Amino acid sequence: MNIIKSRAWELPESAVTPESDFINRRRFLKAVGMGSGALLGNSIANGASWGFPSRLNENYKGEDLKPTDYDLIKGYNNFYEFTTDKGDVQKLANQGWETEPWEIEIKGLVENPMKLEVTDLLKKTDGIEQRIYRFRCVEAWSMVIPWDGFPLKKIIDLAQPKSDAKYIKFTTFYDPKNAPGQRRRTIDWPYVEGLTLEEASNDLAFMATGIYGKPILNQNGAPIRLVVPWKYGFKSIKSIVKIEFVKKQPLNTWQDLQPSEYGFYANVNPKVDHPRWSQASERVIGAGFFSSRQPTLMFNGYEEQVSYLYEGLDLRKNY
Amino acid sequence: MNTFTRWLRKKWALYIFLCAPIFYVFVPISQYDTEYLADPAKYLLEYVGKAATILFVIVSCITPLKMVFPKVSLVNVLVFHRRQIGVSVFVYALLHLVIYYFYTGTWEIFLEDWNKLFILSGIIALALLLVLAVTSNNWSLKRLGPKRWKQIHRLSYLIMFLLIFHQAAQEKTGYRETAIYFAPLIVLQGYRVIKLATKKRTEPLPSEATRH
Repeated sequence: MNIIKSRAWELPESAVTPESDFINRRRFLKAVGMGSGALLGNSIANGASWGFPSRLNENYKGEDLKPTDYDLIKGYNNFYEFTTDKGDVQKLANQGWETEPWEIEIKGLVENPMKLEVTDLLKKTDGIEQRIYRFRCVEAWSMVIPWDGFPLKKIIDLAQPKSDAKYIKFTTFYDPKNAPGQRRRTIDWPYVEGLTLEEASNDLAFMATGIYGKPILNQNGAPIRLVVPWKYGFKSIKSIVKIEFVKKQPLNTWQDLQPSEYGFYANVNPKVDHPRWSQASERVIGAGFFSSRQPTLMFNGYEEQVSYLYEGLDLRKNY
Repeated sequence: MNTFTRWLRKKWALYIFLCAPIFYVFVPISQYDTEYLADPAKYLLEYVGKAATILFVIVSCITPLKMVFPKVSLVNVLVFHRRQIGVSVFVYALLHLVIYYFYTGTWEIFLEDWNKLFILSGIIALALLLVLAVTSNNWSLKRLGPKRWKQIHRLSYLIMFLLIFHQAAQEKTGYRETAIYFAPLIVLQGYRVIKLATKKRTEPLPSEATRH
C-alpha cells in the first residue's frame, strides 16, 4: 500500500484540538445541569444528552486527522427527510421536529426484543466514548467528525440474536408533518439501511448520540444514528427508530431507488466508480476553492480493520 | 415604443442583465454561506451551470414567444438582444468548465470522467455552443447566408436535449429541478410544433417569412 506521509490539509498537532468546542461543551453541560438548557436554543437542547462528557477512545483518536469545522458539520447536511438542499437542513430539522423523547425498538430474530427510550438504552451501555472518524460521502466529498456514542456490538449483545439472524435492518423515523422532505414521494419513506451481522459486530460500527462532544444535533441524525466509516455516508442511517435482526438481506433505500448506482455494501472504494463520477478522489469539506481534493483510501482508510469481512467477494459486483 | 423598452434596448441594460448572476453570487459569498464555505468550487460550479441553463432556456424561448406574442414589446426587446444572450450562454458554460477544472484540481482528474455520459453530455453541449457563439455575428451571417446560418443554429435543439440530460443526470431523486428549468421551453416549443403542424397544409412555414 502506498502511504502518503503528509497532505496539504494536515495541520500540526497544536492546531488539531478544537479548544473552543471543548470549552463550549463544558459550558453546555453546566447549562443543562442548571436546568436552563432552553437558553441554548432548540437545536442544541435536543438529542439524548445522557453520558456526557464522553471519554476519548485512544484507538480512534485520529492522530493524522483534522476535524472538520463544527459550523460546516452543522450546516452542510444530506438529510432528504427535510430537503435535498444541504444548506437548508439545519433550519428545517429544527422547526418543530422533536427528537426527545425518542423511542427505539429492537426486534426480530433476537432473544431479548425491547422497546425503550434512547436514554434508557444508553444506560445499558458502558457509557459514551468519543471517536474521530473519516466520513466519506458517495458524492465524493469528505469530512472528519468526532462522534460520541457506543459500539453497535453493544446492541447486538443486549439483543442476543438467534442463530438464523444474518442481517440487521435499520429504519429511520416517518413524520411527514414535521419532515417536509417526506411529503415528496420521490423516495419510499421511511429510509432503510442494513448491515450483515458480521459487519455490525466489527468494532468500527458505532452508534452515535453525540458529535463534537455534545449531544448530536437534529440535522446530524438526533438522537441516535449509525456510523460505519468504511462505507459511504448514506449507509450511516440517521435518527433510528427500529433495529431489526433479519434473515434476508434488507433492501436499503438507495439500492431500491437506483440499483445501478448504489448497492447493499457501499464500501468506500477508489477503484469502483460511481456511474456518473470517479470515486478515486474526494473534496475535503472546508478546505477552500483550490487544492481541496485528496485521494480516496480503500475502505476509507480502514482497510486493516475491515478487509477480512469481504474476502472472496467481488467488490466490483458487490458495490 | 415607450421609454422603458427603449432603455431595455440599450447595450448597458443588456450587460447588466447578463452579468446579474455574477453580482448575485456575491450575496452568499459575503454572508459566509455554509454551503459556499463547505465546498466553494462545487457551489460555484453548480451556480454558474444554473446560470447557463437558465439563459439557454430564455434564449430558446424567444422564437416561440415571438410567435405567440408578436406585439409584446418585452418580447421584441428579447428578439433584439437574442444573439448576445445566446453568446452569454456559451460564456457561462465555458466558465462552468473552467470551474470544473478547479473542482477536479488536476488535469488527470479533470479528464478522468469524460467517458461518463453525465460529463460527456456537458462537454458536447459546450462544443456545440462554441459553434453557435462564433457564428453569432453579422459577418458570419453574411458569409454563411441566412439559410445555412439557420441550419447551423438549429443545433440549439440538440443542445437542448443534451442540457436536459446533463441537468437531469445530476439530480439524485426525481427530476423536479430539470422540470422547473425546462418547463417554459417545453410548453412553448410544444405549442409551436402543434401550430406548425396545423398550418403546414395551407401556408408556407412562418419561420421562412419572418427571418431577417
